Amino acid sequence: MTLTLTPLEAISERLGTTEPWIEKGGVHWLAPGSVTVRKLAAAMNRLQARFVTITAYQLPKAEGFRLEYHWDLEGQLLGFTFLLAANSPAGAKIESIYDLCEAVDWIEREIHEGFAINFTGRAYEPLLLREGDTPGVNLRDAVAANKEKK
Amino acid sequence: MSYKIPMGPYHPALEEPYKLDLICEGETVIDAKLHIGFNFRGIEHLAETRNYIQVIALMERVCGICSNIHTLTLCQAMEGLTGLTPPPRALYIRTIMAELERLHSHVLWAGIAAKLMGFKTMFMTCFELREKVMDVLQAISGNRVNYSMNRIGGVNRDITDPQSILKMVEALELEMARTVIPIFTTSRTARSRCAGIGVLTNLKAISCGVVGPVARASGVGQDLRRAAPYAAYSEMQFDVPVQPAGDVTARLLVRALEIMESCKILRQALAKLPPGEIHTEGEKFAFITGTATSRVEAPRGEVMYSVSWREGSRNPARVHVRTPTFAVMPAIRWMVIGARLADTPLIQASIDPCYSCTDR
Repeated sequence: MTLTLTPLEAISERLGTTEPWIEKGGVHWLAPGSVTVRKLAAAMNRLQARFVTITAYQLPKAEGFRLEYHWDLEGQLLGFTFLLAANSPAGAKIESIYDLCEAVDWIEREIHEGFAINFTGRAYEPLLLREGDTPGVNLRDAVAANKEKK
Repeated sequence: MSYKIPMGPYHPALEEPYKLDLICEGETVIDAKLHIGFNFRGIEHLAETRNYIQVIALMERVCGICSNIHTLTLCQAMEGLTGLTPPPRALYIRTIMAELERLHSHVLWAGIAAKLMGFKTMFMTCFELREKVMDVLQAISGNRVNYSMNRIGGVNRDITDPQSILKMVEALELEMARTVIPIFTTSRTARSRCAGIGVLTNLKAISCGVVGPVARASGVGQDLRRAAPYAAYSEMQFDVPVQPAGDVTARLLVRALEIMESCKILRQALAKLPPGEIHTEGEKFAFITGTATSRVEAPRGEVMYSVSWREGSRNPARVHVRTPTFAVMPAIRWMVIGARLADTPLIQASIDPCYSCTDR
């Protein structure tokens, strides 16, 4: 007898994780654990999941950032959370998945320009969403600093 | 020898500011670069300074065409954080508003596409029809652009006389079937300007993660109304038009057929509109700490909101909006490569771009 895996079970198997899926706030969440974002993107490609977006959150008290990666698989929205420390001299960084997933290009650039998170292993074209010539500025900090100056 | 032609950010063929740098050899486009952000408004950041009532009014202004869709998606996400469930009548009214908005968006696009084809009579016909849809929206909401219909736990206004709206929808459907669709599908002008140009192959559409009518015109049959139903869509019978060719004609056909499907949904929703309340009356609610996500099939494709809240706070901690044009626009590069320079305005318009959404 062959057991047919559900799409979510198939993802867990591909990633080699036994973590449970948790449905919360309209998303099926899986803690990626030691799975890298590139391994995750490759698994999503093999399962023909559609990349949706990345949502970036700046954590309070300079704790860094939380990135939520979302894919759609047969109408189910999947979510994977990665925490980034901001205390290294190079700032917060995570591997880019642009070479694996073309659809991620603009959202990686947008997060780079708005949160100063560095997606390593890719080049950035000229600014996408704002003026100036310095990519990788944390706009929240910049706005707060400007207010203080005024 | 190749040369660069900048198109935009202010250009007669573009309704809003964005820039396409076209690298050409003779009359043929060999590559293109896109630039956005000319009207970047920082709305996501601004949302963190607004309370749960003000944030609805703010997000309604992300887009001037699908303003209702933005508040619908936001309210659905906020309902996920408050535990409020809209009553059935509110879900039907949300469906009716969403389909009317799709109708006016698609007819507006058809008019602009006709203008870019050099088919000015059709442009006027489409805009006359769009006015009728706008009249229906105004009759329901009292507004023509920002309808202020959605609230947490339901809608703000009732549809008191569905039969009169039904008559308007039937008249519209007849006009669409009699003039717009036959002309777009059979006229030589439309065919000669659209067939075989701006092709986005099925593989490229999947790779770029495009959504909405652009994806469906490249053979990708995704539609959230079917795949992940919200509002009252699970109770509606409708087809999801899919075309395999991936050219401008296919995008035209998908939207034309979607106009008819929207009329079909509207007829069902107006006929079956259940009685009862239009919002959760007098029910106290509080936000829990966490993040909720909501997705809706807007006229241009999937809109996604991630809303994060801290318990006890009046304002959201974060609101992230993924608009459909942001997902579709990078694919323009692949559509214009190999195209004639003269076709590029129509090709870029064929994705029905919304720069306002993109520069949110």
